[in-house]
Amino acid sequence: MITFLTGGGGILSFDTGFAIWVLISMLLFLWAMGKFAVPYIVEALDDREKRIKDSLESAEKAIERAEKISQENEKALREAEVRAQKIRKEAIEEAEKLRTQRLDKAKEEASKIIDDAKKAIEQEKQRAIIELRDEVADLAVKSASIIIESELDSEKNKKIVEKYIGNLSKN
Amino acid sequence: MPTVLRRFFLTLLLFLLTVSPNVLASDESDNSGSPIDVMGKVLDHDYFEMFNQKIYLPRIFYVDGSVYLYANTQSALDSGEFVRSEEEGFIVRSDGTPVFIDFSITSKLVWFWIGVLLTFLITWIAAKRYKNGVGSKTEPKGTLHNLFEVLFVFVRDDIAKEYIPGEKYRKYVNYLFSVFMAISFMNLFGLLPWGVSATASLTVTATLAAITFVITQVSGTKEYWGHIFMFPGVPPLVRVILTPVEIIGMFTKPFALAIRLFANMLSGKIMIVSILGLIFIFTDMFGATLGVTSGIVWVALTALLYILKAFIALLQAYIFTLLSAVFIGLAAEEHAHEDHESSVATATEVQI
Repeated sequence: MITFLTGGGGILSFDTGFAIWVLISMLLFLWAMGKFAVPYIVEALDDREKRIKDSLESAEKAIERAEKISQENEKALREAEVRAQKIRKEAIEEAEKLRTQRLDKAKEEASKIIDDAKKAIEQEKQRAIIELRDEVADLAVKSASIIIESELDSEKNKKIVEKYIGNLSKN
Repeated sequence: MPTVLRRFFLTLLLFLLTVSPNVLASDESDNSGSPIDVMGKVLDHDYFEMFNQKIYLPRIFYVDGSVYLYANTQSALDSGEFVRSEEEGFIVRSDGTPVFIDFSITSKLVWFWIGVLLTFLITWIAAKRYKNGVGSKTEPKGTLHNLFEVLFVFVRDDIAKEYIPGEKYRKYVNYLFSVFMAISFMNLFGLLPWGVSATASLTVTATLAAITFVITQVSGTKEYWGHIFMFPGVPPLVRVILTPVEIIGMFTKPFALAIRLFANMLSGKIMIVSILGLIFIFTDMFGATLGVTSGIVWVALTALLYILKAFIALLQAYIFTLLSAVFIGLAAEEHAHEDHESSVATATEVQI
């Protein structure tokens, strides 16, 4: 009991007085550390860590935003390209269509003109034939009247008619 | 990587613990006749020694309800009120009443104070720097500041945050860091020529462990106490066995903490003194020539031991802090029931 309280003996003894000193010193030490030193350091480190974390996060966000913007730009560019191509294609198609249309129309017109011309020729021909017929009839009548007027021999008549007809065909 | 390191340290710890008692036993033999006083180097003294100058420290005695204060041992003896008893090293009152509590300032107490004060000063200076914005607004500047921050962040992140769950760890950073730094300094003081490791005293380590014990119990959650007295999911009869085991476990943890630090620090000092003492023993036995020549071997061996001891000084401070954090963490843990098994696993892992 005495050894336990007063120590002084071997290395394995527990010294109460010493322990009380150590306890008091330790409590004072811990109090002082907790009051004047450690909280400031913890706070400063926390602050710094928070700031670093925040700036990293904001940098990441900025990168993300920039990436998004560039992606959008690229997308817009691609879209514009696609649209331009489409427009070009449409224009070409339109032009082609227009060309074929015009060609068709021209062909149609040409054929129509030809048709018209043919028709006109046909009509003219018909009319000419009719006129010719009329003319021939008239001539026949005329020649008949001439024949009648001359009352001459049939030989002479025949010659006259032939001569007339021969003139006619020359005309 | 951290688990590998932890396992390595724990293995080393096991190794150191099995080695220490043998060293203690072999050196506890009486040295009174030898040319070198090994025990005198590791015992507590009533003087503070530096550069071979001894400063005798005040003696304070508490006997029978009254306090006696003397400038040093000699003045206590001169006053006639105290005399040396027949037993070596004991002082009793002249009427034969033994000293009830000896509050004397001893060499180890002085070294304890130096360690504690140095820790406080360094931390205080660092805190001032942080308050001035160095390290908080900018990066830490200078080697010492960086070194300090490495240690602080190490204790905070790898010890406190790692083992104490949730945001609770913030409350314990102060204690863990203070203890880590103070113990490191006290351990390293043992390497100085006239230095004494305050932690090579069972009194100091036991007091430190007691503080850890109190903090552990105070921060114990309902689950912690429930586990001790009403182990959940266990038949009532088994509880009769388990509850005393758990209660004993409450005390064995800090006990192991105290013994481990104490034994490691003491054994290192004894080894160094013993091996250096071999020079004088050889001189005594085989003459000066052989003594001095063999000194080359002993000095080389001592240098090696110094390196080992410097490492162990930091290692033991780390282990004390780590285990304190683990014990506090286990008590403060509010575990959901599914991770119950894993917490027991870590507890047993640490218990070795």
